[in-house]
Amino acid sequence: MTPTTGHLLYLVFALGGVGVYLLLPKGRGSQVRAGAVLGGLALAALISVLATRIVVTNSTTAFFYVFSTIAMLGAVRVITHTKPVYSALYFVLVVISVAALLVLMQAEFLAIALIMVYAGAIMVTYLFVIMLAQQDTAPVCDRRSHEPFLAVLAGFVLMAAVAGRCGDLTTASGDTIAQASPTKATLVANVPESSDVGNTTAIGRAVMTRYIVAFEIAGVLLLVSMVGAIALAKKKLPTETVEEERTPIGQIGREVPPY
Amino acid sequence: MIEFLTSQFGVSAQFVVSVVLALVVIGAMQGGVAYCIYFERKISAWIQDRYGPNRVGPLGLLQPVADGVKFFFKEDVVPRHVDKVLFILAPGMIMFVSLIGFAAIPWGGQLQLGEKLVNIQVANPDIGLLYILGVASMGVYGVVIGGWASNSKYPFFGAIRATAQMISYEIPMGLCILVVVLTMGTLRLEDITQLQTGYWLGFIPQWNMFLHPLAFLILFICVLAEANRAPFDLSEAEQELVGGFHTEYSALKFGMFFLAEYGHMITSSALITVLFLGGWHLPWFSWTQPEATQWYAVVAKMGVISAKIVVFLFLMMWIRWTLPRFRFDQLMRLAWQRLIPVTLALFVLTVGLLYFGLHRSPVWALSGNAVIVVVMLVSAGTVGKEVTGRQPNLPRIQESPGAAALAGV
Repeated sequence: MTPTTGHLLYLVFALGGVGVYLLLPKGRGSQVRAGAVLGGLALAALISVLATRIVVTNSTTAFFYVFSTIAMLGAVRVITHTKPVYSALYFVLVVISVAALLVLMQAEFLAIALIMVYAGAIMVTYLFVIMLAQQDTAPVCDRRSHEPFLAVLAGFVLMAAVAGRCGDLTTASGDTIAQASPTKATLVANVPESSDVGNTTAIGRAVMTRYIVAFEIAGVLLLVSMVGAIALAKKKLPTETVEEERTPIGQIGREVPPY
Repeated sequence: MIEFLTSQFGVSAQFVVSVVLALVVIGAMQGGVAYCIYFERKISAWIQDRYGPNRVGPLGLLQPVADGVKFFFKEDVVPRHVDKVLFILAPGMIMFVSLIGFAAIPWGGQLQLGEKLVNIQVANPDIGLLYILGVASMGVYGVVIGGWASNSKYPFFGAIRATAQMISYEIPMGLCILVVVLTMGTLRLEDITQLQTGYWLGFIPQWNMFLHPLAFLILFICVLAEANRAPFDLSEAEQELVGGFHTEYSALKFGMFFLAEYGHMITSSALITVLFLGGWHLPWFSWTQPEATQWYAVVAKMGVISAKIVVFLFLMMWIRWTLPRFRFDQLMRLAWQRLIPVTLALFVLTVGLLYFGLHRSPVWALSGNAVIVVVMLVSAGTVGKEVTGRQPNLPRIQESPGAAALAGV
């Protein structure tokens, strides 16, 4: 078995994992410098492994690299920024760049749905909560990582799985990742009668025919969670209410009680 | 020139028209927004029996220029206690969002260029309507971030009010728009306009306004709330919050908030016009029909859609200077307890009509609307809930004995 790009990437991610573990705030004697060196090495190695495969053939691939870079940098800032409001805004940036990537794959409906749902509704609500709940300085429990080793391990496994798949893609077809990505969104391409109708219609058909059960279950789940949230949030008011006599409408403002 | 560009650089005629139109529309927007402020002041003066601005130029017509110069040359204060990055970013965000919404508005039907037909529209994507909705839903960020970054009490209250209000009114707005989408069966704004160009009984234009008047009315109410216009301008209520979310802003940054509000109004008016009033269509005139594709027909269509937008702008200003502001609990109650049930009923009605293939029959749609209005009025009259934020079981305030004596008299 010859070493492939995938194997090289495993090594790079292992190096990065160790670096991140050293960088994580653990509350006592920090090894930030060693962690930064290791992490920087891993990043440099990753870029040098992947950079040779970046081939810009037309404006679509150029835009792909621009938007994916913005998305990745934004994602890093989401988890590293110390102020929650900034993290939320960086998440909005990530959502918008991912929507741009979807537009490049001609999945306009998914792109705009992503923006409307995540940037337009969910993150606004999040910001609302963050703004209401935020304190001047983050408490101790927010400034330390709880399970640094397990977190780094899980992250390493996830990235390694993605990297292995990347290695397959690059070696199997000899193409770059961007070129190998489908020109139509996979969901739409899988719908047989999508060739003559628009993107939105095709997704609507797919959701209402092939994926109807999953769609309905998702809807019921959302309803259940909403009912649960209301039941939890409801204030328990005393049952008997005081009936108070009301001033007849014509009398309001006629008499002013003296001091 | 277009032939030269298409032959030399290989760009399509549509691309050239789109770029030119984008530049023209953004330029016209800046001017239009500045003159909106002039008209707002003139209309308020007219309603309050005053003269309004009349010193700068004839009839005060150069007032916007003077205002613009003032915005540029005023001292731009950035208070020390603010979050600097977001404080500077917020006005840009809100201005950006209010300007890019125009890309999907169909301004003048189609233009014949040589053998090709080009759309007088910056872009006619498959999802035009959703694009405008998505952009509009991003509009709240400028307000929220501006209010939060100011790091002081009243802007913060304004930002929180704006968030709650915009989230709430997006729901009935979306449902009203869904009614139109179900009836028309497309999300392309140009197609929606063209589908409204027929006639009923030979003389009534097939505008959606005559098909779903209730959805039209509710959409207009929601647009007022989304644009933070009176009677829904609680996020900048002068009497309670100084200036609301833009209290800490000065000079051109404040000016951008100010202009963005009018930009939002123009976009929303254009959207209502396209959805419910047939866009550039004016009945009985051959120049404003979809078949007319000469350049003068395009100019006429642009004039028609602009006139309709101006009517809506006037309505919004009229409402602002006539109606008092809502209280916040009334605002929330209106959205969640009144508008959302009504629009849900409308939605179900439209789906039912669509199932039986009656969705474009005015008799059925109008009778369904009438039934919903009757049920709404009857329920509002019989349920008889007190519209107040007072809590029912608070201890009564001790009244002085003199009041009882007075009440006896």
